[in-house]
Amino acid sequence: MKNKLIILATIMAAPVLATATTPISGTVASKCIVTTDTDGVYGNPSATKLTTVSSEGGVLPIIRYDIITANAYNARISTPISFTSSPSLAGDVVNWTGSTVANQMSDAGMSVFNTNKVVYNNTTEFPLSIAGSVWFDISSEATYGYNKAFPAGSYSAVVTAECIAQ
Amino acid sequence: MRMLIILVLVFTGGYASAHQWTPTYPKLKPSHIVGIYTTKMELFNARKEISYYSIGVFDKDWKKVPFVSTPSLLKVRHLDKKLVEIYLHKRDTKRAHYICSKSKILSSVRDPSIIASRICSKIK
Repeated sequence: MKNKLIILATIMAAPVLATATTPISGTVASKCIVTTDTDGVYGNPSATKLTTVSSEGGVLPIIRYDIITANAYNARISTPISFTSSPSLAGDVVNWTGSTVANQMSDAGMSVFNTNKVVYNNTTEFPLSIAGSVWFDISSEATYGYNKAFPAGSYSAVVTAECIAQ
Repeated sequence: MRMLIILVLVFTGGYASAHQWTPTYPKLKPSHIVGIYTTKMELFNARKEISYYSIGVFDKDWKKVPFVSTPSLLKVRHLDKKLVEIYLHKRDTKRAHYICSKSKILSSVRDPSIIASRICSKIK
């Protein structure tokens, strides 16, 4: 009698066991996602200067990189060296400076991005050696000639954020 | 745990204004046409201000490599995915190194600071 009950209980439990082992499969593929977190704004602290620095009335553009796999990509960020639209600036040259810094990060170890970055021309390249999310702050400053005032009007410039597979 | 945090970030806030181009390491395979190789790439556009992306194939010195895709300038709506087929001549397969997608900004956009994004996958 006891043996029959055990067999019966086993048969009744079988479908429950079967559903309990239904597999869920998924894949985490290597990828890089470039996200524009904050659009930048040029502040005009003096007539001769346009800058994204917040203490001078600008807004720093912030770009977020999400890295799923470590050591698969390099982040390459280029600051502007020309305006895409502006009033006529034929009278003199525009002098550009810019820099890029990894500011916020999901992993404290990502501070090595700043240590290992390579800067050339107007471009900063960061080997993305740790998986996670990292926010890059980009500063850009333009001056016109030597202490010359920028003509009135609206100015636009482009920051290029690249993710290059290693 | 770290991977969980990454996935939460990617699947929640990550798509606010993002550009994604996969796979990271595409492989070229012979197509149905003799002497032509192909691969498939996927573009995801979560950038609201961007509707067009250009495709480019480059060698290791960033010189352009001739290719055909369907089409080379893509219109991708916000939060839409597009599958892109890239075709290369057999003679160009050895020097082709990167397949890139780049956001295109319309000349009518007058934001003070615009961000152009480019993601490049490496051919294996």
